[in-house]
Amino acid sequence: MQKKILVTDDAMFMRVILKGILIPEKYSVVEACNGQEAVDQYAAHKPDLVFMDITMPVMDGLTALKTIKDQHPEACLVMCTAMGQQNMVIEAIKSGAKDFIVKPFQPERVLECVKKLIG
Amino acid sequence: MENENVSVKLINPFVAASYSVCSMMFGQAPERQPLSVMPQSITSHQVNAVVGVTGNIKGHVILGMSLPTADRIASAMIGAPIKVFDHLASSAIAELANMVCGNALLQISENGDICDLTPPTIIRGSKVQISTLAIPAIVVPLKLSMGELYIIVGLRHEKAVAPLQRAA
Repeated sequence: MQKKILVTDDAMFMRVILKGILIPEKYSVVEACNGQEAVDQYAAHKPDLVFMDITMPVMDGLTALKTIKDQHPEACLVMCTAMGQQNMVIEAIKSGAKDFIVKPFQPERVLECVKKLIG
Repeated sequence: MENENVSVKLINPFVAASYSVCSMMFGQAPERQPLSVMPQSITSHQVNAVVGVTGNIKGHVILGMSLPTADRIASAMIGAPIKVFDHLASSAIAELANMVCGNALLQISENGDICDLTPPTIIRGSKVQISTLAIPAIVVPLKLSMGELYIIVGLRHEKAVAPLQRAA
């Protein structure tokens, strides 16, 4: 069965890039452009994996991570981070994120992370 | 002049960040051209990504380029040709600015300066005057196969004002 991935980033470019990496590998992709949308999309679609940007309007990625983990402890989330956000990554890992990827994304690193977590 | 000196010290992290990000994104290191100093008012390029810097260091960084260069850079980032410089292309250029500035601020933070970035703003229009008030900017032209990219760095340290103490 096709695995479903929720891609959360306020930058359209980043969502397009991640989709371009994931869809050819036969993953189904759902999108959200802020943390609140991610919380809503998670509840609606129950994805196997979530890519979560950190800095976003409306609700930031850390708050969204904590909200999703509170509501769905089984949720599997990976943080997408820019250089210089190490402190936030540490907090995210403590809050239940499984891994993180650094922008600019390396397709091999993204796929390695996905395959390791959901196959 | 003091502001200019401070600004020069802050240039290298942006040059290094540009090399790193361009090498990773485009598989090529840019060729650096001679620096120049701009006064407090800048005539914009056709496409400008403006990022504000707050914290111990304040000011702005602008990535400026021509529209054809922006089209080629966005096309390379997206992996497909850009027909019109649309929202997706703007988003790509904004992310390039985000990555260069984020990478540079990481290097700057290693010297103990804590700064943050504002989300990039894309300004289009080659005759727009951008006033930087009291912060002169250093311009770093970088040559890529896609065209020239101008990194305009107008930053200064916020000084902590210590009370003047005299020996009794």
